[in-house]
Amino acid sequence: MRAPQTIKQEFLKKWILGLQLCDFAKQNMSMLERKKAIKLSADIAIASTRNGMTCWSRALVAKASRDYGDKVLVERMLASESEKLKKVSSIGLIAPNKWVIIRSKKILRKSRRARRVRSSVPLSVLAKSIAKKMVKKRTQVLKSLVPGGEFMDDISLIEETLDYIISLRAQVDVMQTLAKATELLNGK
Amino acid sequence: MNRALLPEMLHSTDMTVLERQRARFKWQQEQQQQQQQQSFFGDLSGVFQLQQQHQGFQGDLGEVVTRSVKPDPSLMDNGWSDLVGFGPCGYGNYNGSGFDVNCAISSTSSCPPAVVAPATNAKVLAEGREPVLSEKLNSGVARECLKKRKVDKVQNSTKVVAEDDSRGKRIKGCPEDGESKNTQKNNKSSSTSKNSNKENSAETSKDNSKVTEVQKPDYIHVRARRGQATDSHSLAERVRREKISERMKYLQDLVPGCNKITGKAGMLDEIINYVQSLQRQVEFLSMKLAAVNPRLDFNVDNLFAKEAFPAWATNFPASGMSSDMTNRAYLQFNQVQQQQQQQLVTCCGLDVGINPPDMGLRRTISSPRSIPEMFLDSSCFTHIQPSSTWDADLQNLYNVAFEQGTIEASNLLKMEM
Repeated sequence: MRAPQTIKQEFLKKWILGLQLCDFAKQNMSMLERKKAIKLSADIAIASTRNGMTCWSRALVAKASRDYGDKVLVERMLASESEKLKKVSSIGLIAPNKWVIIRSKKILRKSRRARRVRSSVPLSVLAKSIAKKMVKKRTQVLKSLVPGGEFMDDISLIEETLDYIISLRAQVDVMQTLAKATELLNGK
Repeated sequence: MNRALLPEMLHSTDMTVLERQRARFKWQQEQQQQQQQQSFFGDLSGVFQLQQQHQGFQGDLGEVVTRSVKPDPSLMDNGWSDLVGFGPCGYGNYNGSGFDVNCAISSTSSCPPAVVAPATNAKVLAEGREPVLSEKLNSGVARECLKKRKVDKVQNSTKVVAEDDSRGKRIKGCPEDGESKNTQKNNKSSSTSKNSNKENSAETSKDNSKVTEVQKPDYIHVRARRGQATDSHSLAERVRREKISERMKYLQDLVPGCNKITGKAGMLDEIINYVQSLQRQVEFLSMKLAAVNPRLDFNVDNLFAKEAFPAWATNFPASGMSSDMTNRAYLQFNQVQQQQQQQLVTCCGLDVGINPPDMGLRRTISSPRSIPEMFLDSSCFTHIQPSSTWDADLQNLYNVAFEQGTIEASNLLKMEM
């Protein structure tokens, strides 16, 4: 129940706050480090606009806090956010049993591939199975793209993708305008 | 849901994409249907909205689907005798308004091209009602099919009704002559159903296949189609497939360029490409911001932002046109850039229009190139060495402006120089 405008404004506010927390002035950061910090604060900001309701937002926060070395910083950024997000950042998102699930799925897949018999099947069935394989492959790719996608079933994957696309668009728009603004300022 | 309200809702607000889509579907339904149906849909969608608000829609659609359906008990109260089957006709009677005989009768005949109705079924049914049908056929049938399809979309979210376009099975029968026909059809259908143990007493006589009523709120009630397997596995599969296809339709609206693509694999391809491009854009933009600001203090920007961003925020193109670099969007993008440029000029009082047309025009020139290349070329080039390339850019822009015939940009350039 959000208009695109509110998403963007919320995201911008939180992002700027996060950037200010990053405390750049003291250190001499290389460009790559600056970029990482910018991206981190942007990701956390866009995930927090969802307030932990969606799976991808929680997964994004978990990934960000895992990849970025400075957990304290991440926690500070999330200081005003809901409890869910804070929990997610402190614990790993992936509980141990999920790893088991992933591993067992991989084993199943391999065994299925091994014992498949190349029998002569009617053409219609063959076409259907090929189509199914194509869809399955692409679903796998989509799962790898959407944060936290590996744990979702097809239906919730599509819902999460919907939400994720909207938030990504808002993020890109805001970042673009900020980039333009800084360009213009610097150009002056 | 009123007609007047819907366009505003679509444009303005705080609805999630799915709500908007559903609202749009409902609006389309209203557009195409007649008055009595509109009143019904008002009710149904009103209830639907009520239900959602009651639940405090939080983006968790799974809840919505499986939650209990409030209208059903009230429908049931009317008694099946009033409802002509479980479909638009039936809902048409919800208000107790005039029983639409034509509605019921026309539902028996096969729908025009959109629906593949088994020919045999249609014939059997049509024979019995030939004289009455003849004059109602064309209008009623089309309306019926439309209603059926659209109502299903609405219903899908509240209660999963697997019954789709009429395949000649929805002869719920007019009360006058329906019962006999119904019993005939009942004999043909199989009797297993997914939720048979939860079934109400009422209704096998009304439908060709088992009707499952809402007993407990947590179950999804499905009806088997005529001539299709009715074991629980295939029913469940069908429910799942329909859910997926419904959501894919929403995605189709969201992702640009997906209108022509049918089929899951192609759609998923487009979605994957789109998500990848958005993610790459985020990466690139954060790199760009890191390059532009050596110190990354955004305080100065905040002052600027207070002026400019509110205006920009209102001027943000809806649904990411600015981030869409497909060929179609190039022209749009150029227009957007010019809009933004004018906005900047007006609200900031600066001659800040240089860069946007720079970006826009460069993009239109180098349209065959991919996004990252263009970004890298135009932006990093301009920013990492601002002073030396600035003049070169201006010169380029001036030339380009002449070539493109964009007088505005060249005027601005002249002012700048």
